[in-house]
Amino acid sequence: MIKQAENILSKIPSADYADVRIVDQTSEDIATKDGVVEALASSSSIGYNVRILKDGVFGFAASNDMSEHGIDETIKKAIAIVKASAADKTTNVELDQCDPIIDSYKTPRKEDPFSVPMEEKIHILLEADKEQKVSNKVAVTQSSYQANRERKYFVSSIGSKIDQEIIWTGAGIEATAVDGPDLQNRSYPNSFRGQNQTRGFELVRELELAKHAPEIAQQAVDLLTADTCPTGEFDIILDSNQLALQIHESCGHAVELDRVLGYEASYAGTSFLTPDKLFNFQYGSNIVNLTADATIPGGLGTFGYDDEGVPAQRTYLVKNGMFQDYITSRDTVTKLHEINNQYNPPSGGRSNGTVRASSWSRLPMIRMTNINLEPGGEKGTGKAWTLDELIADTEYGIFMSTNRSWSIDDKRYNFQFGTEIAWEIKDGKLGRMLKNPTYQGITPQFWHSCDAICGRPEWTVWGTPNCGKGQPSQVMYTGHGASPARFRKVKVGVVKW
Amino acid sequence: MLGEQKLKQIADKVLCLSKADQTEVLLSVSGNALTRFANNEIHQNMAWKNLGISIRVVTDKKIGVASTNSFEESALQCVIAKATTLAKLQKPDPSFVSLPLPCTIPEVKNDIHHATEDEMAEGARTIIEKAKKEKLKAFGAYANDVSELAVANSLGVWAYHAGSSCNLSTIVMGENSSGFASDVARSPDAVDAKKVAETAVSKTLESTNPQDIEPGEYEVILEPQAVSEMMAFFQWYGPNARIYHEGASPLSDKMNTQVFGKNITLIDDPFHSDVFPMPFDFEGHPKAKITFVKNGVLKNIAYDSYYAMKFHKKNTGHALPAPNTMGPIPLHLYIAPGNKAREEMIQNVKRGLLVTRLWYVRVLNPKVLNVTGMTRDGTFLIENGKIVRPVKNLRFNQSIPEALNNIAGIENKLTPLASFEGEMISLAPTLHIKKWEFSSRTLF
Repeated sequence: MIKQAENILSKIPSADYADVRIVDQTSEDIATKDGVVEALASSSSIGYNVRILKDGVFGFAASNDMSEHGIDETIKKAIAIVKASAADKTTNVELDQCDPIIDSYKTPRKEDPFSVPMEEKIHILLEADKEQKVSNKVAVTQSSYQANRERKYFVSSIGSKIDQEIIWTGAGIEATAVDGPDLQNRSYPNSFRGQNQTRGFELVRELELAKHAPEIAQQAVDLLTADTCPTGEFDIILDSNQLALQIHESCGHAVELDRVLGYEASYAGTSFLTPDKLFNFQYGSNIVNLTADATIPGGLGTFGYDDEGVPAQRTYLVKNGMFQDYITSRDTVTKLHEINNQYNPPSGGRSNGTVRASSWSRLPMIRMTNINLEPGGEKGTGKAWTLDELIADTEYGIFMSTNRSWSIDDKRYNFQFGTEIAWEIKDGKLGRMLKNPTYQGITPQFWHSCDAICGRPEWTVWGTPNCGKGQPSQVMYTGHGASPARFRKVKVGVVKW
Repeated sequence: MLGEQKLKQIADKVLCLSKADQTEVLLSVSGNALTRFANNEIHQNMAWKNLGISIRVVTDKKIGVASTNSFEESALQCVIAKATTLAKLQKPDPSFVSLPLPCTIPEVKNDIHHATEDEMAEGARTIIEKAKKEKLKAFGAYANDVSELAVANSLGVWAYHAGSSCNLSTIVMGENSSGFASDVARSPDAVDAKKVAETAVSKTLESTNPQDIEPGEYEVILEPQAVSEMMAFFQWYGPNARIYHEGASPLSDKMNTQVFGKNITLIDDPFHSDVFPMPFDFEGHPKAKITFVKNGVLKNIAYDSYYAMKFHKKNTGHALPAPNTMGPIPLHLYIAPGNKAREEMIQNVKRGLLVTRLWYVRVLNPKVLNVTGMTRDGTFLIENGKIVRPVKNLRFNQSIPEALNNIAGIENKLTPLASFEGEMISLAPTLHIKKWEFSSRTLF
C-alpha cells in the first residue's frame, strides 16, 4: 500500500507540500440485551485522501475510488479547492520543520482480537448478560464488545513513508433497574462502552465481565432505594473513571491549539486558555501535573506517528499547576510562534504530534492523545495516597464513581458532571450509598481545589472512544490516565430530582 | 451518483448470491463538500465521496450484519460470506419474526443539487465581508451533502431515493459577544447567505457587553435553534418503542393519556415541504405523516419491523440501519406551530430570558428526561415585554416533559434548521416557556 500511496503522491503537480494517506479500517461489534445478541456486525472501509498545500492554503479531497481515473479526479478536486480557498486568504499556512521518517509501527498485543473465535466472544458477553439478572427490578441487561483495526499508510513530499497498524479493543456491561419513575444504571468497568485500550483480546479476558456482573446489577437495584445525594459544598473524591472524563473535558479540549485559534469556534467552541496565559497562568494547585502522552503502553491515544508523520511524544501541559503547553499540529504551532514569541517549551516549540483523522475521508486535526493527571508520589505531585488513606483523611465528603452525564460550556469554564453512584464519607469512613450525584464548577477553581492524588498503583489509563470534534464530525478514540483524587469544597447535588 | 438502475442491479446480484432465509441490502452513495471559515478566512476546505453496502442476513432467526465500501464483485461476495458466517454463529432471537414485506413507497421527487467550491466560498465570503464591516470576526461552515439511498430485501422490497442539502451556518464574534445564524435548503440557490450574515452580525452587536445575572427560575423565550436542540433528546428518548417497552421512557405506559399541555401537538412529517424528504426508512418500509402527541395526549410511538412484530403493533417506518441498538427514532419530529408572532411572545414576558441556542445538552436521567446544558451565542434579559440587555451565559437543569407542560406560547411558523450533524433538516417554532431552571453561571 505504501507503493500505492507513493503512486498517488507522484501524480500531484507542483505544490509547496503534499501528503497522501491510505486507510484500511475494520471493526467488529457485538451487543447483547436481555440475553439476546442484539447486534453482531463486521464492517470495513478503505479509501485515501490527498492534502495539498499551495499558495498558502490547504486543499483536501478523499475518495474510495482507487482507479487511475478516480485518483486523477480526487487530485483535481483538491486543486480546485485550493484555488477557491486562496482567493480570499489573509494569512498563509506555514508548516513547522519536520524530519522525514521511514518507519513502521504496530500496536503491541498478546492476542489479536480478530483471531479469537466469534463463538467465544458471544459466550463471554451472554454469560455477563445473564449474571446481571439478580432481581426482577433489573429491567435491562446489556453487554458489549468492540474491536477496531486501522492500517494507515502515510507518504509525504518531504520523503516520509510510514505504515502503522493500530488495534484497539473494548468491552463492558450495563445493568438498568427501574421502579416507577426511578431509573438507575450501573456499568462495569466504565460507562459508555466499558474500558477500551490499544491492546488485544487479553484486555477483555482481564475484565472478567461475568464475575463483576452480579455486584454491579445489585448496585443498580440498591440505588433505587438509596438516598439522594445531598446538596451543598462538600469535599469530593472522584474515582479514576470519572476523573478521566473530567480531565478530557476541562483540560484535554481546553489545550487543543486549533480550538484556541478559533478553528473550531463555529462548532465545538473556543478555549479560555488563550496564548497570553502560557507560562503565567496557574491552572490548578501545585500538585496538578497534566501531560499529553501518546507513548503510554495500552493507552487508547497511543500510536507510533500522528497523521502528519510526527513521532508520538510526551508533553507537559500543566506542571506544578502552571499552564505550560498546548497539543499542537504543524500548521497551528507556527501561528502560535507568531502570536507569542516567548513560546519555547521543552519540546522545542515544534508540533508535539497530536494530529489524527477518524477515517480516510476526514481532514486530520488536533486530537487528544492520552491526556493524564500524573499520579501522586511522582515529582511535584505530592504524596502517593491510597484510596483507603484518602477516605480515612476526609472528615465529611462524597466519593463519586462512573460517569453518567457530562456538559461544559463552549470556553471550557462551567462544567457539570453526574455519576452513576456515590457513597457518603463520614469521619473517614465510607457510609451510605447515594443516588443521582452531580457536581458543578468552574475549571481553574476546581483544579485549584485538588489537594490529594492517589499513587501509581491506583492509576488507570481509561479509554474514551467517543470524543466528537470537527465538521464533518469526527469521533476519535482518546485515553486518560488518572487515579482517584480529592477536591475541596465543590458544589454538589445541583439538580432537583 | 450511480442512479437507481445501477443500484438495483447491485442489490439484485447480492440477493441472488445470498443463500440465507432472508437477506436485506442497504446501499448508499454520497458526495460531500464542506467549506469552513474562521477569523474571517477559509481555513478548512474539503470534498469526499464514498459508497457503502450493508447486508443483513437471517437464517433460523439468527441475524448477522456486515458492511463494506466497495461494489466490486469480489467485495460483494466477501461481505455476503461475512454476514452469513456471523449469522451462523449467532444465537436465535426468539422475538424476530421477519424482515418487512414490500409496501407501496410514496412518490417523492429525486432532487439533487451539487454546490461548487466557488459557490460555497462565495457563501462564506458574504458573511465574512459583513462581519469585517462591523469589525467583527466570522466563523462558520457551508456544507453540501448529496446522497442516494436504496434498500432491497429478498421478500421483494425495493426503495430508492436521491436528495441533497445545503447548510450554511455561522457564529460571528466581537470582543465579548457572539451571534449565531444559519440557513438550510435543498439547493445552493436557495441558501440566503446575506440574511444569515445580517442575523448573526446584528445578534453579535446586540449582545455586546453582556451583564451577570443571577441563576434561578425564569420564563424563557427559546428561539427555534434552541427548541430543536432540546427536542433532539426527546426524539431519541421519548416515542421510541425500544425504550417505551423497557419502561425507561418518560412516555412509558402513558398511551392515550395527557402527557403535555393541551397546546402541544407533535408531528413526524418526512414529506414537509421544508425538510429533507425521506419516503422510506432504513428497512425500505414506507414513511408516513404521523401525529405522536395531539393536544398533549400521547397517540403514537415509533416502531420498526422488529418492535412492531414483537409487540403486535403497526410498523410506522422508523427503522435505523441494522444492527440497531438504539431503537426506532422519528427523524422528522416537530412541534406544530401555534398562533403567536415572535414579537408578541416577547411582549408577554414579564421578566425572563431570550435564548438563541443551547449547547452541550446531555440527559441526566432518561426516565424523567431531565437535561443539562448551557446557553450560547446570544442570551438576553426581557423585562416588561422588552429585551433590555444581553446577559452572560447560564447553565440549566430542566425536565423536557415539564417544559412541554408549561408552554405559554408557540410561534405561528416553523423555521427549518440543520440537525446536530448537519445531515437532516428539522423544523421548530419559537417557544415561550413559563418556567426554566438555571442553576449556575459562567464567566462570559
